[in-house]
Amino acid sequence: MRELPALHLPLLAEALQGFLAEELAASGLTGYVVGLSGGIDSAVAAALAVRAVGASRVIAMALPGPSSDPRSLADAHLVAESLGMALEVRDLSQPARQLAELLGCGEDRLRFGNLLARLRMVALFDRARTLPALVLGTSNKSEILLGYSTLFGDSAASVQPLGDLWKTQVFALASYLELPEEVTTKPPTADLWPGQTDAGELGFDYRDADPILWAHHEAGLDAARLVAAGFDPVLVDHVLALYRRNRFKWRPTVVARVSASAINIDRILPRNPER
Amino acid sequence: MKTIPPATDEFPVALAQIATRPGQPRHNLRRHLEAISRARSAGARLVVFPELSLSGYLLNHGVAEAAMTLDDPLLAPLREASRDLAILVGLPLREAGGGISNAAVLLEGGRVCGIHRKLYLPTYGMFDEGRFFVAGRRLEPLTFNFGTLGVLICEDAWHLSSSVFLSHPPVDAIIVVAGGPSEIEDGPVPAGARRWHWLVGAMAITSVTPVYFANRCGWEEGVLFGGGSWAVDGRGASLVEAAPACQETVLVAPFSRPAVAWARTLVPVPRMERFELWRAALENAGA
Repeated sequence: MRELPALHLPLLAEALQGFLAEELAASGLTGYVVGLSGGIDSAVAAALAVRAVGASRVIAMALPGPSSDPRSLADAHLVAESLGMALEVRDLSQPARQLAELLGCGEDRLRFGNLLARLRMVALFDRARTLPALVLGTSNKSEILLGYSTLFGDSAASVQPLGDLWKTQVFALASYLELPEEVTTKPPTADLWPGQTDAGELGFDYRDADPILWAHHEAGLDAARLVAAGFDPVLVDHVLALYRRNRFKWRPTVVARVSASAINIDRILPRNPER
Repeated sequence: MKTIPPATDEFPVALAQIATRPGQPRHNLRRHLEAISRARSAGARLVVFPELSLSGYLLNHGVAEAAMTLDDPLLAPLREASRDLAILVGLPLREAGGGISNAAVLLEGGRVCGIHRKLYLPTYGMFDEGRFFVAGRRLEPLTFNFGTLGVLICEDAWHLSSSVFLSHPPVDAIIVVAGGPSEIEDGPVPAGARRWHWLVGAMAITSVTPVYFANRCGWEEGVLFGGGSWAVDGRGASLVEAAPACQETVLVAPFSRPAVAWARTLVPVPRMERFELWRAALENAGA
């Protein structure tokens, strides 16, 4: 209960590689575009994609902003090199500043962070259009459930290979994939402003939160049973509050149904029909 | 001209574990023809495809556009391929009286020689079959040149009464075709395949009948299917090593009528079924 169930990592990696290979084949497109942040999620997603379809079909981009830690770019280079990929660097500092000035959000750290995350999305989808390619998502289940992502920013992608993996499982998969230790051991960060870390913003570490999320979301334990199982009551309240508050992010938009043929309600159809 | 080979008591059965794509029937047909070619090369007399193999599984409302009648041009290449070996293919069958069945169609000698319509339509969790299909009404053996087959489609096998019914009178073999989704856990066999192996094994040893299990693999709409196709004899011995989870493959397992008869001589469990207990249970349930 206090630790997540283990996963068979070779089988997990093989299955996720199959997912990426099959999604690409079914789409009829040529490859993947992934933003390498220098962090663990994008490194794992990129490694799976390279194993699935080959390094020549995965375009890696680094998209630093005005306050990105230089170490992030260095780590992105390290990941790309370890996977045999070329890294395309596009510095978003100037367009981010210009847009922030236009919108008047430069002083608001959260708004500016969201703006930068969405500019990265713009860059990735634009690059994908040139091939054309799918945009490889890097979100994990912990982030999605806690709402620790920017809607239509880092959460926007064509496919999400890690979207049903808890963050601590992503750590385990990263070790199995033998990614550079510099990347797998550093504290997770969205790198939207200097010194930002996931734990600093959320107020807890994924290794403490994941077992609570798992026991609630998957095993159905409510707050009282979580506390009875030995979890810290303050942490339980905090994690479950985020879990409830951010449920809208599970489904980023809602269509108003006024006919009997509403998309994805009355008409749920396969994504990739034969052309 | 190819013709059905003479019946024999021993022959290979091929289990085609393929990864299909929902909404891409021409792609799926190509996968069938490739697997049939491999099965033929291995001397198989019967090749078994997973549930809804020709259409893909997670169709949802796409069932309506994927549904076909038995004269659909998509079936023509499979009819032709069935001239010298029997083929069990899964498809959404448009019924003359309305509705669409989740069907397994047995082709042999260039014609349809039997159909099983799925009896139990799972409509819980990630399953929504009750919205899109009508349930079959009968469980009857399908007969082909080499004997009789009891065919079960996925959820049919989760009701253990199915194999009891197929034991009275006993079929030569039970065929289970599935589109079984799976989760990954701590072992090298995914959760779905692990459960299926228990189920298929229990069915084989309680009905003292060989069971041939063809599951699909790969992904559809973000859902992993767990593979693990397998065959087991009526005493619980593997007839072939189970297929891996994630790889398309064609397994070839032996069938032996004398071995089936011998096992049933040693273990008469099905003949000892107490149907008066079933009758009492039915009365208690008000059925």
